[in-house]
Amino acid sequence: MNGVFPIAREELRLWLRSRLAFSALLVFALLLTATSVLTALRMSAEQQQRTGQQALAEETFLSQPDRHPHRMVHYGHYVFRVPPPLSVVDPGVDAVTGQSMFLEGHRQNTAMFADAGAGANLGGFDDLTAALVYQLFVPLLLIAMGHGLIVREREENTLAPLLAQNVTGVMLCLGKWIALAGVALVLLLPLFVMTALAAARGESLLTSAGLIGIYALYSLVWCSLILLVSALVRHRGLGLGILALFWLGAVLIVPRTAVESASTVVPAEGKLETDLRMQAELRAVGDGHNAGAPQFMRLRANLLAQYDVERVEDLPVNFRGVVAEVNEADVTDVLNKYAGERMALEARQARFAESFGWLSPVVAVSAGSRALSGTDLATHHRFLRKAEEVRFDFVQGLNRVHVEQLDYTIDINRSIDTASERLTRMSAENWNVLDEFSFEAAPASERLTRAAPALTMLSAWFLLLTAAVVFASRRIRP
Amino acid sequence: MTGLFREIRFLSHDRAALLWLGIAVFIAVVSVFLGLREVSSQRAELDGLIEADHREREVLMDLYQDWGDVAYYTFHLTYDPPSEFAFAAQGRRDTSPWKHNIRALALEGQIYETDAENPDFALVGRLDFAFVANLLAPLLLILLLHDLRSAERATGRFELLCATAANRGSPWFARAALRVGALALCLIAPLWTGGLLAGSGAATLAPASLVVVLHIGFWWAVCALMDRFGWSSPVNLTALVGAWLAFAVIVPAAIKVSVEATVPLPDGGEILFTQREAVNDAWDLPKAATMEPFVERHPEWADYTEVSQPFEWKWYYAFQQVGDQTVEPLSQAYREGRVRRDALAASLAWLSPPALAERALQALAGTNVAATLAYERQVRGFHKALREYYYPRLFREEPVSDASLAQRPEFRETGE
Repeated sequence: MNGVFPIAREELRLWLRSRLAFSALLVFALLLTATSVLTALRMSAEQQQRTGQQALAEETFLSQPDRHPHRMVHYGHYVFRVPPPLSVVDPGVDAVTGQSMFLEGHRQNTAMFADAGAGANLGGFDDLTAALVYQLFVPLLLIAMGHGLIVREREENTLAPLLAQNVTGVMLCLGKWIALAGVALVLLLPLFVMTALAAARGESLLTSAGLIGIYALYSLVWCSLILLVSALVRHRGLGLGILALFWLGAVLIVPRTAVESASTVVPAEGKLETDLRMQAELRAVGDGHNAGAPQFMRLRANLLAQYDVERVEDLPVNFRGVVAEVNEADVTDVLNKYAGERMALEARQARFAESFGWLSPVVAVSAGSRALSGTDLATHHRFLRKAEEVRFDFVQGLNRVHVEQLDYTIDINRSIDTASERLTRMSAENWNVLDEFSFEAAPASERLTRAAPALTMLSAWFLLLTAAVVFASRRIRP
Repeated sequence: MTGLFREIRFLSHDRAALLWLGIAVFIAVVSVFLGLREVSSQRAELDGLIEADHREREVLMDLYQDWGDVAYYTFHLTYDPPSEFAFAAQGRRDTSPWKHNIRALALEGQIYETDAENPDFALVGRLDFAFVANLLAPLLLILLLHDLRSAERATGRFELLCATAANRGSPWFARAALRVGALALCLIAPLWTGGLLAGSGAATLAPASLVVVLHIGFWWAVCALMDRFGWSSPVNLTALVGAWLAFAVIVPAAIKVSVEATVPLPDGGEILFTQREAVNDAWDLPKAATMEPFVERHPEWADYTEVSQPFEWKWYYAFQQVGDQTVEPLSQAYREGRVRRDALAASLAWLSPPALAERALQALAGTNVAATLAYERQVRGFHKALREYYYPRLFREEPVSDASLAQRPEFRETGE
């Protein structure tokens, strides 16, 4: 190992002396710091705002006056997807998915107000985050600095004297690799700071360490690739051309190809299409507002038999409430069936696109980074599922009040005059059927499991390329 | 002329140059193909939706005997079909809505719904022609041009070539011009092919080609400028890629951040909140509190504001309208904010030619912010027409009839 560190040190000294390398390094350090700070500020503000809005929404719901319980079903409630702590590193799909959703009876609404829809439009990579800089552009810096590592020695005819001085090819490559990897790891400093910030705000240490690990591994993949190319080519120009080609493919072309292929191989219909398709099924279930509809005749007969009475008025429960309750459950089954199918399709699309990580480490690292940060598609689906739970629970809670506390005769006479309407108003104390909603990303173990394929792909990239470097380094001849 | 043929011969032997040009034409063809496919799948989806929408309304025709029920349960599809040039620049269609299912209830609760596709897709972006021409092509041009002089220098032929040339710079100019021209051709030929297949027409394709050529011209100028420093090929390439990073990534991102900081938007959640509170409070307020602001907008119904029952449909739809009226200042600010953001982004985009070219192509394709806002105006217009259709029937308590239903407005995609 003796000769290795002087080689690394020499390389670092060279970079510090080269105006180009030094200024490029400086530019990237600035860029990473700036994007990290901006992303962290933005996501922290979002986090605070949405937490506040969530609390306000709950407060408003609970402070509603006495009302007919079904009015509260349609008054509805709002839930907000509060971004998890690690979103300060990688906001993921946060900007392209709606962040708030209106919950009401008999309907599943979509999440509304995606930032991307209202933002300034400058195309391409205008929504630049620190995560994107690491994934897409840091490799450019590493290429610029590292493409000449070995081939430079070859072109300047210093390779032969080096190899003659008891320096083996393996030692030479190891020394150069350490130098480049050192630069790559130092560049992770802003990421480290942001992750520490997230950890201080309650993020699990496991996912935080995982996030740093996945970016470190990703950077090392590039280091090995760059060194490999530099060791194999005869001219710097050729090496640079090959690396540029690889970068073009891995960063610009493969990720978008993955998206296009996923949408072809796993086609998914839009929500409007699904909504229209399920209308017939929903009509078969019946409209819960109309207790006299033919769909509820059996329910009515069963209830009359169960309580052994002749007329619905004599039931100990409010028949309209029972219909609302039963119908809500049936409608929700239909809604959940279609929503579940849609989410399963989207998840399949995401998995298919992620498998392009075998072709481009960029695809792997971005998928892994989102999974670990809790800003991936699965987290958004988790939000949709949790929101649906809250929706169903408060609607059924209100329906229970309708069933048990509101007298049937008073209920059907509600439209006669204002005085009759007043009688149908239930006490506001009942509104506490609403559960508190505080959205959190999946637990650390689950997110690590989701990031496992990405980690596997990156490890494979790293091992394969490093093995190739070792193999090539044994054969280095001047 | 012989000079040109000589340069073409040189180019045909330059394997690296052929590789970059090959990549350009391949990706351009793929992007046009994908764009055409996406547009046709959007059209097919719309066709299916339009048909299902009609079918659905037919089913509902005989179901309700009350205008209130009819208006409550009947949805209407509104949509913004992709233009003939949308294949080249998908623009905002990934994140902004271009189809809605609208009914006569308060519009503010409906218009912000977005029937978006998989968010992972919107995050990564599409491989459309605009992406190839605006982000990929400059890099390919840089790779084609960065070692024109420096390679000759490295091989020691530079001085000889300069000395024997008829005038200084001419062999370089011809060589560079040929490559720039070839690259432009590699992009524009697939664009025109796709455009003719999609029926875009020369009136769109010509300005689009001009955008592509001017943008490439800008990058040629950048390459020529860098060339003057006489650096070695690797240094030259590094500096040029740095310039690409600055113009194509950093400047647009900085513009976006500063525009959004300069022009804040009212919070979306607040719009919905205000609207819901206004609509729901109406239930507990005296009927006059709804009917008065309603009549201010619709004086023609001033004689029909008497609401004697605890629930009457005309009052129900009146407070839906009043809900929209209450939130109008916020909603207006949200729209104006987007317009101002877009205007500011338009003027600042001059600092980044790739962003400028992207915006120009999106404008030609009708997939930019302006197109989104125009569609939104169309939906608002249609919703207004729906209300104006229902109000006389609700207020005069007319019976529901097929003849009357036949007069109901249908959404038309053209005109606002």
